[in-house]
Amino acid sequence: MALTDADLVARVLLDDDHHAFAELVRNHQSTVRGLLRQLTRTDAALADDLAQETFVRAYRNIRSFRGEAKFSTWLYRIAYNCFREEARKRKELVGIDETQLEAEHDPQTVDPALRHDLAQALQLLPLHERTAVLLCCQNGLSHDEASRVLEIPLGTVKTNVLRGREKLKKAMAAWATN
Amino acid sequence: MGNELNIDEQLQEDRLDAKLRDEVPYIDDAGFTACVVQQLPSGRRQPRFARAAILLGVTLLASVIAYLITGGGAFLANAAEFLVAMPFASVCAIALLSGLLVTAVGTSAAVIKAR
Repeated sequence: MALTDADLVARVLLDDDHHAFAELVRNHQSTVRGLLRQLTRTDAALADDLAQETFVRAYRNIRSFRGEAKFSTWLYRIAYNCFREEARKRKELVGIDETQLEAEHDPQTVDPALRHDLAQALQLLPLHERTAVLLCCQNGLSHDEASRVLEIPLGTVKTNVLRGREKLKKAMAAWATN
Repeated sequence: MGNELNIDEQLQEDRLDAKLRDEVPYIDDAGFTACVVQQLPSGRRQPRFARAAILLGVTLLASVIAYLITGGGAFLANAAEFLVAMPFASVCAIALLSGLLVTAVGTSAAVIKAR
């Protein structure tokens, strides 16, 4: 029978069990790396560096995980903090602005060679909306969980998800008509 | 009419969420876990047997010191004599009270740890 996250965390806490922690990494590496790839605008190398940092920090601070939230939610929070610190270093915290998004919707500016799909539409969203949509719509977090991960008010999360969704729908509709 | 619009919007949102979830590819581990494990700090705490050995050693040392300080353990002989001289009912009562005390302490420690 496969061990649950709680069992594996208990083993790490009790015996510093590296094998148990490796199992946790194996279980969550895909979602954490996927989220970071989306946040870093598909820079896979940077995303993987941040994912490694995320798991090492998680190991160092595992005593602060009290099991009130899901282990994955706790990991997302660490991953988002790692990303924010890196973005601050690189001064890239600000996402692509609204005028750029509008330009993408303009049929005159559409490059037919571009692959216009949902993944690309996501990349056009400003960071705060993209992050909220990724956490809530793609990774299945509740608004409340996302507000804890992002450390922003619940209402702001709901607004960001709503606006992000609207923009995605508009982008997809605009591309569908071209 | 308004309700139909709401239902339509909800359906659109559900479809969008489903599509977003479908778009997530599984990222193959490809040595990622091994790389993370290599970076983990090791040996924050002593292994279990070392902790047990230290505890046992300290207990033995404390016992020897107590034996020497109390004049070769004369207090043990005195206590044994005292217990033998006591009425049987009193010995049973002391044993019962000691058992209850140990059980209460153990239970509260377990409850605190489980929280």
